[in-house]
Amino acid sequence: MKIQVTQDKLAKALTNISRIAIGKATLPILNNILIRVDNKKVSLITTNLDMAIIDFLPVSSSEDGVITVPAKLLTEFISNLPKGEVVEISAKDTKVTVKAGKYSSTINGTIADDFPDLPEIDDKTAVTYKIGIEEFKNSISQVIIAASNDLTRPALTGVYFDTNDNSLFAVSTDGYRLAKKELIDKVESEVKAIVPANSLHEVLRSIGEDTEEVEISFNDDLVRFRLGEVEIISKLIDASYPNYQALIPKDNEITLDLDQEEAIRTTKLAALFARSVDGSIICETKAPDTLSIRSVANEFGENDSEIKTEVTKDCITRLNSRFFIAALNAFDTPNITMEFSSGVKPIVLHGKNDTKYIHIIMPLSK
Amino acid sequence: MYDVWKNALAEIEQQISPANFSTWFQGTSIISNTDGHIVIGVKNSFYVKQLRNRYLNIITTALRNTNLEVNSIDFEVQTKVKSKVRPREVTASDLSLKTHLTSRKRPSPTQQSSNQETGLNQKYTLDNFVIGSNNDLAVSAARSIIDSPGERYNPFFLYGGPGLGKTHLVQAIGNELLRKDPSLKIFYTPIAHFYSDFIDSVRLGKGNEFNLKFRKLDVLIIDDFQLIVGKEKSQEEFFNIFNDLYQLNKQIIVTSDRLPSQIKSVDERLASRLTWAGAFDLQLPKFEDKCAILRAKAELMGANIEPEAIEYIAENVNTNIRDLEGEFSTILLMSEVRGLTPLELIKNGSVSVNKATRPHSVNSKQIVDKVARYFQLTPKEMCSKSRVSNIKTARQITMYLLSKELGLSTTKIATEVGVKDHTTVMHGIKKIDQDLRLNFILRDQIAEIKEKIYD
Repeated sequence: MKIQVTQDKLAKALTNISRIAIGKATLPILNNILIRVDNKKVSLITTNLDMAIIDFLPVSSSEDGVITVPAKLLTEFISNLPKGEVVEISAKDTKVTVKAGKYSSTINGTIADDFPDLPEIDDKTAVTYKIGIEEFKNSISQVIIAASNDLTRPALTGVYFDTNDNSLFAVSTDGYRLAKKELIDKVESEVKAIVPANSLHEVLRSIGEDTEEVEISFNDDLVRFRLGEVEIISKLIDASYPNYQALIPKDNEITLDLDQEEAIRTTKLAALFARSVDGSIICETKAPDTLSIRSVANEFGENDSEIKTEVTKDCITRLNSRFFIAALNAFDTPNITMEFSSGVKPIVLHGKNDTKYIHIIMPLSK
Repeated sequence: MYDVWKNALAEIEQQISPANFSTWFQGTSIISNTDGHIVIGVKNSFYVKQLRNRYLNIITTALRNTNLEVNSIDFEVQTKVKSKVRPREVTASDLSLKTHLTSRKRPSPTQQSSNQETGLNQKYTLDNFVIGSNNDLAVSAARSIIDSPGERYNPFFLYGGPGLGKTHLVQAIGNELLRKDPSLKIFYTPIAHFYSDFIDSVRLGKGNEFNLKFRKLDVLIIDDFQLIVGKEKSQEEFFNIFNDLYQLNKQIIVTSDRLPSQIKSVDERLASRLTWAGAFDLQLPKFEDKCAILRAKAELMGANIEPEAIEYIAENVNTNIRDLEGEFSTILLMSEVRGLTPLELIKNGSVSVNKATRPHSVNSKQIVDKVARYFQLTPKEMCSKSRVSNIKTARQITMYLLSKELGLSTTKIATEVGVKDHTTVMHGIKKIDQDLRLNFILRDQIAEIKEKIYD
């Protein structure tokens, strides 16, 4: 086994794939990177048995063979080499020699026999979608913030890919808030799958500068993301997702137009005072033109700020400021519409005249 | 069916490395067997591939060795939770406001709160916990927790010397809570079991299961927290669990024989968090409290015992409640055997409680010497006017022991330890007396010194 490649390319690939291999796996080989050269095609692979990352690295020259190397050591060694050097990695038995200009080292590798075989997705039976990378990146970032990390409710720790009325949606909720985004508005094939949020974070991190498009393929228990030279395979979460449609309230009492920046600033000011308590803020509308956002924390004082916007009715609700700020921040448009009612009905945020992205927050009771 | 797989696993375990075994075979089970077509459930598709490609032969042989007819073996993804503990189906109503605010209440159709599940011993209740001036504060806090767990006294940190009823009180809280709301998930565990479970979970790669088990609790009760010393990883894990539960307003109850800040090697952040809502101590019972405890115990056992006998025992057992009850039981047993009433036994000297058994052949010089040696001082140094704190403490301990063990007058003690007058001695004795109630290190020290003196 032998490959020759420039330091920056290799370092980038290794840093990306080694994240999931630097863990606390009980099986030592899972802390290694598998380097395989098969018919001049090079692949670098890591897995934590929930997911695998494969980088098909373009190299200047190579010889066939396969070996595994400790991920952390190799990554750190390569990253610290001078930029622009040409790195040569070669393996003889289990001795892996890394050479770059005047630097050279020998790392003890392990034979690849014990490295797990990766599951594959059969393209013939898989359901596949293609999405522009910017669109995908923005959408998933908008949705994933609402995913839960409560392991006792596995379904909520993922992002739900769901086709509905011929559109593909990504949805996540932690029970206190819900984010939903339309990914593709016309799809032929159907899917209902929960992708672990952790795996999606890795996908987002693996998006390179020259990636243009992501190809997502689902089968019954797996999902595969193809992003240029990187491929990520992940298990799906085996659980049933709650009926999120039922959670989206209709006919809220009041609809307001907000300017994103102003709303964030006002809420942050109020949140400063709410920090010590539960972080709750009170949103109150007064017809005809005032939304007041305030908080009270007895030991620090209190805060009351106003936003001028058209108001048709007097309403009052109490929100978790952290969730509210995160939701406002998630929008990629400055014009946000907020719908809410007095009492316990969830509030809805979406872009003005645009419901592709919807973010819902449960209010707090007193 | 399950047993067959267990046997097969036992055989497989011997053939492959432990790391491989725990990685690939942990959590597997036989889902079905129709005429030798066996389906094995595994965690996810990564496992399917691996088991089929690498371990199919071993599995087939192992299954055949259990005398099972094997025609084909297939693998299917089956989440671990699915096979054993049914996960809560998340429904739309779950996401409603109610769960948001009081995530404490949840339907639990399957839960039968047996001892094994909660670790609680039902014999401990608040009704049979004798309340006195030594523990009333802690008990009132306990009552408040029973009324509204996870609120005011969270975490509830209870500390006190051995045998003062820490375990009784915290288990009573657990039992009362369970009585009020049987659906609550309560778990009581001594810290020693906590870390051995933790180590097992790490070893067997069941970290997740371990996490889940604790993180879904409504009430976590940890006993004998001081034994965490030196178990750094466990401590870290406990800290994480503690934080998670605390954030969800789940009630956490911790007992220890001393304050967290006095336990060596406990992380400062953890120490301060544990006493966030205050620390409650169980003190040594006073004479009246001890009498009350013994009377309660007599009533419970239906025993007949003279008030004078109770007073005698109460006066003479000064260590803790466990010893008190122990002594009490011994006397009752003896009275049954000998056919005498407890008071008669005491009067004719057949029973001798505590210090009555000690030889009185110690003199003041021995005590002074032993204390000085214990603190690595010369008697002269110790009996000087030095106000260096450890010397001063040593001197006060000497005064205390001279008074308690030999019953010397304060004036006599003053000359023995070289202080000016008897008021200093009175102050010293009083100080140690007070400190003893809270300072368990001091208590240990004095016990050790006493042992040396009577050795």
